[in-house]
Amino acid sequence: MGAILFSALTLALAVFALTQRRLLWGVIGVGAHSLALAGVYLFLAAPDVALTQAAIGFGLVTFIYLLALRRTGKLTVVAVETPPLLHQEGQRVAGLEWEILSRFGRHLHQDVEVLWVTRAEIPRLLRAGEADIGAGGFLPRSEDRVLISRPLVPTRIVTVRCAPGPLGAVAGDRGEDHLPADRATYEDHRELASALGAGEVGGAVADLLHVRQWILSGEIPPVETTDHEETSFRLAVAPGEEDVHQALDAFLAKLEANGELAQLVRRYVG
Amino acid sequence: MKALAALSLLVLMGLLAVGVSGVFPRPAVPPAEDVAAEWGAKNVVAAIVLGVRLWDTLFEILVYAMTMVGVKLGLRLLRWEHAIPPVRETPLLRRSADLLLGPIVVFALYVAVSGHLGPGGGFPAGAILGTALLLLALAKGVERLSAEIHEPSLEWAEYGAIVAILAVAGGLLLVGVRGSGYLIAANVLIALEVGIGAWVVLHRFASSRGEV
Repeated sequence: MGAILFSALTLALAVFALTQRRLLWGVIGVGAHSLALAGVYLFLAAPDVALTQAAIGFGLVTFIYLLALRRTGKLTVVAVETPPLLHQEGQRVAGLEWEILSRFGRHLHQDVEVLWVTRAEIPRLLRAGEADIGAGGFLPRSEDRVLISRPLVPTRIVTVRCAPGPLGAVAGDRGEDHLPADRATYEDHRELASALGAGEVGGAVADLLHVRQWILSGEIPPVETTDHEETSFRLAVAPGEEDVHQALDAFLAKLEANGELAQLVRRYVG
Repeated sequence: MKALAALSLLVLMGLLAVGVSGVFPRPAVPPAEDVAAEWGAKNVVAAIVLGVRLWDTLFEILVYAMTMVGVKLGLRLLRWEHAIPPVRETPLLRRSADLLLGPIVVFALYVAVSGHLGPGGGFPAGAILGTALLLLALAKGVERLSAEIHEPSLEWAEYGAIVAILAVAGGLLLVGVRGSGYLIAANVLIALEVGIGAWVVLHRFASSRGEV
């Protein structure tokens, strides 16, 4: 009698586990199903098998599923720290792109996790499938071979010249396209600015946002600038993530249409 | 094709009928209680797994060890380039892990040591031990726990346990000593091997990329 009751329970829990929309509930259902199965074994006079079933099916397997859920149920963003677009503020991440990304994560019911990397690493990590989205003042280049979102914030690529000498840019950044043959590349904008301040390079090719910051913070003296092209900061999406790309573009289009994007740009960039 | 399938089905059913018909004499098997008593156990299953069918158990342990080594070597190629930051600790999870860890480990030891008297034995005990480590991994993060429990030395402990099992069992198979002390030793060693093996395999899976 007990065995029949537990068998019915096992079947019901299996159906429960299969019909759940949330993965977590499915995992809990599978665990409970294993426990009921252990009960069946117990009533069939096989306590050894029941103990093993409970330890493996209910304990070990449930924990492995929980650990896997923790790993996969989120959007991984690889980014360059670029205030005011995306930067660390104490324990938390802040900035215009963070507003958009965290809202987008809520929209998809996924946690967003940001890993700080250099600009040159972003396309490689996206193509390798180690991350879903690239951000942090991302200016697309044709050799990146990643999916590109709608434009977020317009900017320009300019050359700033303080002294005679070679020009520098950040490796992998859009500015690298405009470097003459006599060139120097740096890992990030901070290194480029300090090289510029130290007189290692005579000038730099970068976007207006960074140049404005350098001049405002007094890292480089006010200088002569030349315009190259108009472009926009965008978000990059991993080539395999067609769905994320479409969802992101639709999400951005909505923000643009109801004026929230313009509001965010005014608030963060000015 | 259908005729062939029907024919093979008939042949198989015939074989089954012959098998259960009693044409073949059944091997003489002593009563289970006698077997258990001979090996110094009250639990018949323990007497059979660690006594009568010790060869099978030994090869199962070897297969398990080979799986562990295979996972370890195979997943070495698929490590993440950027370590995943640990999940923020929640006090609830942390406290419950602290509270539950002791009882779980004690229960695992109990199941291993008393495996020859009641339900239990080395394999479930090892699985329970692995569950305890997994619970800690959920609370603390996989990489941090791996550093805290000195995983490389644990792995060597596991290889040591395998060698010890082989030595004990080999000596017993050759010398023919029996007794409950041997069953306890074998169960504890198997629990150690299975528990550490479960942790090592899980850690490799957790720290590797998904696509294989």
